Amino acid sequence: MIARCLLSIGLAAVASAPPAWTPPRTTDGHPDLQGFWTNATITPLERPRELGAKEFFTAEEAAEDRKRALVPLPTAQRGGTEAHYEFTQFGLDRSQAQIAFSLRTSMIVGPEGRVPPLTPEAQQRNAERAARNKGHEFDGPENRGIQERCIVWGNEGPPMLPPGYNSFLQIVQTPTHVMIEQEMIHDARIIPLDGRPHLPQSVRRWLGDSRGRWEGDTLVVDTTNFTDQTNFRGSRENLHVVERFTRVDQDTIRYEFTVDDPTTWTRAWSAELPLVKDKGPIYEYACHEANYGMANNLRGARAKEDR
Amino acid sequence: MLKSVAIGFTAAVVLLTAAPAPAHHAFSSEFDVDKPLQLQGTVTVMEWVNPHSWIHLDVKGAGGTVNWMVEGGSPNQLLRLGFTKNALLPGMNIVVTGFQAKDGTHKAVGRELTFADGRRLFLSESAADTPK
Repeated sequence: MIARCLLSIGLAAVASAPPAWTPPRTTDGHPDLQGFWTNATITPLERPRELGAKEFFTAEEAAEDRKRALVPLPTAQRGGTEAHYEFTQFGLDRSQAQIAFSLRTSMIVGPEGRVPPLTPEAQQRNAERAARNKGHEFDGPENRGIQERCIVWGNEGPPMLPPGYNSFLQIVQTPTHVMIEQEMIHDARIIPLDGRPHLPQSVRRWLGDSRGRWEGDTLVVDTTNFTDQTNFRGSRENLHVVERFTRVDQDTIRYEFTVDDPTTWTRAWSAELPLVKDKGPIYEYACHEANYGMANNLRGARAKEDR
Repeated sequence: MLKSVAIGFTAAVVLLTAAPAPAHHAFSSEFDVDKPLQLQGTVTVMEWVNPHSWIHLDVKGAGGTVNWMVEGGSPNQLLRLGFTKNALLPGMNIVVTGFQAKDGTHKAVGRELTFADGRRLFLSESAADTPK
């Protein structure tokens, strides 16, 4: 029955295929990507192993997945600690967010659907770093992660991934630049489109050095020059990211990225997720301004040492 | 000794979100899961600041009044739920259950917050009933 329904829907789609959608354009003729967007999602970056090579859900499976994903889990299953605030109280759970749904079973595309294995060199590098930090995690603020220090959050990337809450971004275009600001944690990526080369290798930036260009109706952004404190799934200063932004309908930008780093992964890998139109606005997120958590953590460690 | 002392760990474990959102910082190193507490007091200051809102409240006890600081979620999301700077004003009576900071000071994470009359403070479903 279901198969018959799907078949008839498919035939109907073939018989009355809608004309190709034409994106709105800026005055200089490029697709208009401007506005507020959300990338909140229930789709994991990596495909759950039990799904194997299954890259897409059927509509029915996706509906079930949504139902399951939006039901809160006990802490024991979720991981983490009880010494945390209750997410539903503060509107931080995903059942209260506008979600950019997709039929994908994982953001990572292809039959594997998972981050490729680390090279032996990367494994050794990570082990050495972990060994150096062991026992010194709370020596001072410099020992804490750059996210906890409110320098850069992991979602900022690039590649830009959903932060889990406050998952909003704004895009502004001019003929010569594109600006992308993510609410978490409010850094503006200012991306030149004029064909200039990347910065010299000696200049390193928290969000890397981005250069954009138009390939037809797709904005392509190439980013290099990350710092050695960057940590994207084990990749550091040699991370290379290519992002592709394509407005596919009134309410959706298809956001694709490919990352490669021969010093970290055994092969390049790619992912895709939708950005869905939001009414905005985005709010300031002055993370460092009130990062009492940093001092509390260090004081907690000192108190433990004194016992 | 404060009247508001640690209460037993509730058996009805509060349910959290389905998807593990990345926490801003290491909660388990900031707050002590072995020091659950309940505070009832009067709001003195509501700090609408990121990465976390902080509520200050005066808690009366046998030894006098102690001002506690209680950590909550991101104000950006509270704004989206319809809260304004007038949603939680000095003088309002609230009850907080949570966990004390590991540094032993009068700070805590506010896991659940209610007004003294039992209404949920930040639960989104009741956001329409909260003072704006």
